[in-house]
Amino acid sequence: MERMNDDGQWIVMLGFIISIILVFLALIVNQSALVGKTTSESVLEFPKSEIQDIRAEIMEYNWTVDHSHCETTLLQTFQDLSLERKGSVIFFDYNETQGIIYIHFNDGFTAYNETTRGGN
Amino acid sequence: MVTEDAQLYTIEGIAAAFMIVVTAYLVVSTTTVLTQQDVHIIDLQLQQLGNDALAMMDSPDSYGENSILTDAVIKVVSSNDSLLFRQTFLGYVNNATNVAVPSYDRINYSAVIYYLNTSNQINQTLVGGGTYYRENSVKVSRWVFLPKGSLHVTDMNNSVNRSVLLEVQLWRE
Repeated sequence: MERMNDDGQWIVMLGFIISIILVFLALIVNQSALVGKTTSESVLEFPKSEIQDIRAEIMEYNWTVDHSHCETTLLQTFQDLSLERKGSVIFFDYNETQGIIYIHFNDGFTAYNETTRGGN
Repeated sequence: MVTEDAQLYTIEGIAAAFMIVVTAYLVVSTTTVLTQQDVHIIDLQLQQLGNDALAMMDSPDSYGENSILTDAVIKVVSSNDSLLFRQTFLGYVNNATNVAVPSYDRINYSAVIYYLNTSNQINQTLVGGGTYYRENSVKVSRWVFLPKGSLHVTDMNNSVNRSVLLEVQLWRE
């Protein structure tokens, strides 16, 4: 039997290298797909706009109206509607003497607490 | 006759075959994941678009004025007139850049306003919009500030400043 030809070792090695590169590329593509999925899921889950929105609304009252009145109607409006429609718990308090606003938000996944002077 | 030559070539062949199988498996499983990812990214973009549109509508043109969103909500709760909301909102969400044909996106909405009535019960007013059947939809919401004295529905106390919750369901037709 004729001896096996061992020419072209470089070609064989390049084939090896290319196949290894392909494996790594496939791994990267696979991971990137998962990353896109989990990223969009976590962005959907995170109540960014809810917190910004509730905060803006509380600040609006802080700037435009007297706070004593808000304690009764506004807090109840926010708490009832948030619990009913969004399943999130909201509390806020205007401290008249110190001029401090306390804001609390919790939707079961994300909790947000802030104590601020309201930018005045 | 069987010889023991070229053992390394055999090992190399087996290794290469193994790598091809692994690569093929990874590629196939990658494509199946992609469909799920697409759904989430579409939801995410639609939700962001809706929130942005409502934020734009809720920005007054100048200090002390009502925002367009406030005016639109007042029109809905006072005289059931949703034209201003419909025109502005659809104009914002369907405004697409560099889309040749058609020149507008095809997003539709259905909106409801929730508020506390005079006996502190949650009540709702339909803003209207398109008819929703079974499309993939997302829901965005925004608190709308209604200054006191503006016209309201009968069971809403208009002697105080108040906030109502506007919920908008969005889908692409």
